[in-house]
Amino acid sequence: MTFDLSIITANAGAIWNAFLVTIYTWLAGSVLGLMAGLLIAALMLFGGRPLQLLLRVFIELVRGTPFLVILFLVYYGGPSFGLRLGAMTAGVLCIAFYSSVYFAEIFRSGFAAVPRGQLEAGECLGLGRLQLLWRVQLPQMLVLILPAIFNMLTILCKETAVLSIITVPELTAVLTGIGTRTFTFIETLLVLCIAYLLLIEITSRAGRWLEHRVGIYLQR
Amino acid sequence: MFDWPTFLFSLPLLGKALLITLQTSLLGNAFGFVIAILISSMQLAKMPLLRRLGGSYIFIFRGVPLLVQLLVIYYLAPMFGLPNLSPMVAAVMALSLCSGAYIAEILRGGLMAIPSGQSEAAHLLGMSRPAILLRIELPQAVQSTLPSLVNELVLLIKASALVSVVGLADLTRVAQNLASSDYLFFQHYLVLAGIYCLINIPLTMFGRRLERHLERSLA
Amino acid sequence: MSLSLSPTNAISAVPAENSKIAPIIHLSAVGKRFGKNQVLANIDLDVHHSEVVCLIGPSGSGKSTLLRCMAFLEEYDDGEIHIEGRLLGWEIDDRGHRKHAGRNRLNQARRNLGIVFQQFNLWPHMTALGNVTEALVRVRRLPRQEAEKKAMKALDKVGLSEKAKEYPARLSGGQQQRVAIARALAMEPKIMLFDEPTSALDPELVGEVLAVMKQLAQEGMTMVVVTHEMGFAAQVADSVVFLDQGSIVTRGTPNEVFRDTNHPRLRQFLQNYLDRNAFWHTTPEKTS
Ligand SMILES: Nc1ncnc2c1ncn2[C@@H]1O[C@H](COP(=O)(O)OP(=O)(O)OP(=O)(O)O)[C@@H](O)[C@H]1O
Ligand SMILES: [Mg+2]
Repeated sequence: MTFDLSIITANAGAIWNAFLVTIYTWLAGSVLGLMAGLLIAALMLFGGRPLQLLLRVFIELVRGTPFLVILFLVYYGGPSFGLRLGAMTAGVLCIAFYSSVYFAEIFRSGFAAVPRGQLEAGECLGLGRLQLLWRVQLPQMLVLILPAIFNMLTILCKETAVLSIITVPELTAVLTGIGTRTFTFIETLLVLCIAYLLLIEITSRAGRWLEHRVGIYLQR
Repeated sequence: MFDWPTFLFSLPLLGKALLITLQTSLLGNAFGFVIAILISSMQLAKMPLLRRLGGSYIFIFRGVPLLVQLLVIYYLAPMFGLPNLSPMVAAVMALSLCSGAYIAEILRGGLMAIPSGQSEAAHLLGMSRPAILLRIELPQAVQSTLPSLVNELVLLIKASALVSVVGLADLTRVAQNLASSDYLFFQHYLVLAGIYCLINIPLTMFGRRLERHLERSLA
Repeated sequence: MSLSLSPTNAISAVPAENSKIAPIIHLSAVGKRFGKNQVLANIDLDVHHSEVVCLIGPSGSGKSTLLRCMAFLEEYDDGEIHIEGRLLGWEIDDRGHRKHAGRNRLNQARRNLGIVFQQFNLWPHMTALGNVTEALVRVRRLPRQEAEKKAMKALDKVGLSEKAKEYPARLSGGQQQRVAIARALAMEPKIMLFDEPTSALDPELVGEVLAVMKQLAQEGMTMVVVTHEMGFAAQVADSVVFLDQGSIVTRGTPNEVFRDTNHPRLRQFLQNYLDRNAFWHTTPEKTS
């Protein structure tokens, strides 16, 4: 058993590209998921009873399904509907789709946490429902839900590893590829683990910092 | 659109695969629980070294994707003198190690919520530290965190779909095999998703009921 | 019955000619149910320009609900509420059925109203100034500078111009409630509705809020105040309305209502109030 990091430096370019793919699929998917989640939460708030029920069922179904299975459904099952996506696009969309329901739940709990009285006060001053959503509810719930959002972001970062199964050239796919080709499992897997640990650590630190920044108004 | 004969034909196969999925997740959850007891009590120990070790375990196993953990065990175990891990053993190992970290975090919260007076009282009665943990603190921690533990089980069942990559014939793997034999990808994966939902949604609802029950009993 | 409350009635009662002019708030036969629970029944109430009306009554008698109906925060089921002669919240269609008035119509009616809640309901993520400015900018569409000037004037009025840049969490309860009053005042309402504005405050902070309200009353603001502060009602109110179990039991000047002996429920309510607030007459004797 040998330990030789030269295999990493020799493939630095490919690994860097894979790293960028990981970051791209993760962040693009998350941002889309956040927007979709906000939309779902708002629809549940303003929509009628039937729409609420429908969205509830949708949320439960997506939450009950493993991410890998959703990926398979879209990437391999999509073509039977003429939905032919590249692996990367499918990956981003699946992360967005999968995370949207979790983000929706987070937003929903955030909406519920802002006291009704604050909305009534605004209503009486003539502020519209959307203005209140945007100016009163969102900024406040942001502080409350930031920990949950960042927790979800770390989960999604780890889920991008699953994209390797549908051949997205991200970190896990590329590094294990190098490993199998050159029989350097220890080095490649070590670098892989460290890369994810770093990403996760940076994300949670950023989350804590942001929480502090946004929550300044709560300090006495 | 939906090929019923194929569906009916696939049911027995999927049924068997479901047992494998449940077996891996439940075993993973059980061993994970044991690991979690160890790790959470390390984290709450007085010795800085133990705390550090417990913290590192959680940092690593929550920071690395489960898929990568699986690959590490699968590729590296032979190099460290554990030749020929069967897919089942590798899968259960990975699930246990990973869920151990998550469950430890849950238990730690439950353990910290217990007033310290209880263990002091038990200590005065002459109970040993492990006995206090197992007989007094743990039952309470489990009771107060039961909803989160159920939720964790749901997450683990979903995560177990990944063990298909090390060749274990679980639900996902069998559906994959079926799909690649008759190219009915969408149908097989839809059925697959349905089966996972059939297990997970009732479990989730059970967890929510427990939570409401808990809230009411505390109120 | 000898009550030691002495209504001084510093503000003159409703000017005689006022009663001839149409009331600014007019309630006729208003009723409200929560499910099967009839919370308000057959409420008739007129409030005239510059009048200060205090609503008193036991807990659960429907005071808050009545006040909230006046702002259409609760939809009343029966009767009509008119603000400045216009039906509030509902519209009567051709066939005589009532349906919800549009947002615009409701907002138009609400422009006359300023509301102050027991729980302040300030927006905690905005400074005091931000709270007051928000509606000026987004509803009145004033340019920011002008809005801030107006807001500062309102804050000055409640004596808080130097706290303009503070977030609510850094203000005392009394200061927060004064900011809430300024927020309502900045929109230049004709009527101010108060729902127990001092009930959530520590006793030593009640005075500063009541002082602001007293000043408003003296400046001729039309006010409807739900309150447990009988001293305030006695000094400031033009009329006091006693509500019990969802109906108006009696209405009159503070003098009349506080000395009214005809209504056993009112007598008991006032006696309870005195018992609760006059402990200092009895405790020294007991302890000595
Ligand atoms: N949103 C609601 N849903 C159902 N019932 C309600 C609601 N709000 C108030 N009620 C009921 O209406 C009745 C009157 O309540 P209201 O809050 O108006 O009383 P109040 O006179 O303001 O009492 P307090 O002095 O305690 O504030 C009470 O019986 C209350 O339980
Ligand atoms: Mg009330």
